[in-house]
Amino acid sequence: MRAERAARGIGKARAVERGILSAHDYRRPSTMAVMVVMAVVILFMVFTMLYPIGVTFTNSLKTVVEVNSFPPKFLPAGLEWGNYKEGWHYMDLPLFLKNTLLLFGGNLLVTMFVLGLAAFTLSKLRLPHRKLIYFFFLMTLFIPPSTYIVPNFVNLKDLHLLNTFWAFWLPAGASAFNLLLLKSFFDAISDEIFEASRIDGASNWYAFSRIALPLSIPIVSTLAIFIFSAAWNDWFWPSLVMHGDPKYPLATAIYKKVIQATGLKQNVKFAILSMVALPPIVVFLLFQRFILRGLHLGGVKG
Amino acid sequence: MDQTAAAAAQSTQSTKRKRFAPYRQNISGYLFLVPAAVLFILFLWVPIVKGLIFSFYHIDFVNGDTFVGFDNYRTVFHDPEIGTAVKNTLYYMLLCLLIGFWVPILFAIAISEIKRFQGVFRVAAYLPNVIPVVVLYGLWRWIYDPVGPINALLGKLGADQILFMTDTRWSMLSLVIMETWQQFGSGMLIYLAAVLSIPKDWYEAAEIDGAGIWARVRHITLPSIKNLVMLMLILQLIATSQGYQSQLAMLDGGPLNATLTYGLKIVKYAFTRLEYGVASAMGVLMFLVLGVLAIIQFRMSNREGD
Repeated sequence: MRAERAARGIGKARAVERGILSAHDYRRPSTMAVMVVMAVVILFMVFTMLYPIGVTFTNSLKTVVEVNSFPPKFLPAGLEWGNYKEGWHYMDLPLFLKNTLLLFGGNLLVTMFVLGLAAFTLSKLRLPHRKLIYFFFLMTLFIPPSTYIVPNFVNLKDLHLLNTFWAFWLPAGASAFNLLLLKSFFDAISDEIFEASRIDGASNWYAFSRIALPLSIPIVSTLAIFIFSAAWNDWFWPSLVMHGDPKYPLATAIYKKVIQATGLKQNVKFAILSMVALPPIVVFLLFQRFILRGLHLGGVKG
Repeated sequence: MDQTAAAAAQSTQSTKRKRFAPYRQNISGYLFLVPAAVLFILFLWVPIVKGLIFSFYHIDFVNGDTFVGFDNYRTVFHDPEIGTAVKNTLYYMLLCLLIGFWVPILFAIAISEIKRFQGVFRVAAYLPNVIPVVVLYGLWRWIYDPVGPINALLGKLGADQILFMTDTRWSMLSLVIMETWQQFGSGMLIYLAAVLSIPKDWYEAAEIDGAGIWARVRHITLPSIKNLVMLMLILQLIATSQGYQSQLAMLDGGPLNATLTYGLKIVKYAFTRLEYGVASAMGVLMFLVLGVLAIIQFRMSNREGD
């Protein structure tokens, strides 16, 4: 109920409704003064959010002398598009992008089929002891991941999964948080559809693959956002598990070749960073309505 | 005689069948759980148990593991850097609370009152979350540079130059500011949804009863989001107590171990010194401390979910 109200609040602007302040409050000058201060603070926040992002792009268009000059200027004198060409030749961005997308796609598939199937079973098939089984899955949420990061690595080595994409795809199916998300989504779907299909003779597999999965588009998009941002962001773990360029995802490659590089020119560095930052920003701005709503569906992520 | 025996046999058979019937009907259901169960065991439970076992072994990939008893734990407690690491971790958690924790709450309440351009503010606040962290590392190194934009501004204002990265008094603080900048948007959106879901007639009623603006915030807004605030607090404590990535990427624990956190120390034991046993022992010790926090979180999120 509460979430629903909140989702509605996210969905559209409410111009008429009052908030903490009423129309009466607005008439008092002291309130107006507070409101002005608040607006200034919020605008300052927006500025501090946007300036570093903007400067990434403007720096990428400067000359070496300009980008290293003090005090730094926001706008470049001329547009040095050559930096982008140089950055493009500096590293094989399409290869690393391909690796990131491979990680993302595989993780999403495994999550939907392995965890989706388990969540569907626990939610819709009245198995005996399902509470106990669910608890077995959820208990892993109690254990903070960095406490077993080392045995996790050794375990992957023992399973001969190091330097393979399976070292990411398979563990994607072992996420209690995503299971929780999927199960609460299925819990909200009415049982009647599934009962009707059972009466018509549908098997459990049919109910999952032909009814539950097609109905779960909203949760798939939420999971896709989480899994994408994880694949796009994670640099440290892949740098341990993968052994070199041909397998590194984009984030790891950028860390190794751009952040840690010493000889790279500052403006070319910013050109590469811009190329990496631009796609997610564009996708976010285009689909921000759906993405923010999808994030909300996910609730508080731990 | 025969008949009753047969009947009795039949009845036990039928009760047996009855008892097992639900399992047989649900055989496909249990099969559906097998892939997830296998992956959970293989990639969560096995590493967790192995971590406990490894903490009593010296791990050697070439010559095989040897049992060393409590030696790994002794190494941990005798390492002088461990004390520094624990202190730095607590300092980092404290800074994240002092700088990062209240900011999203404040902005959520403020933005909930803004009637126009709310969507723009939301998008702007969330934007840094969208940018890959590795880009942020490169960007903020430049921003914090001795000849970067912040120092240029300080110079214009006549203030002294601040060495954000290399001054031990500033380095951890600089990282916390960077992370607050990056993460504040997602926290704010969560709080904003909660603030917007508070029924507006409560404010109306309070105002009629003579409550001022501050009283309304203090007695209606804040109590309404109290559970969420507590949950976010626990989540933040759990997350920051494990933090090591920005410390590793930006400064590698330096300058002079000023940003060496406990999590970073684990990583260094494991992946630079290759002392997997000692690193596992540190993980076990950390688990004992964080387990308590995690249990509190679970109880809180149950309360939040109703």
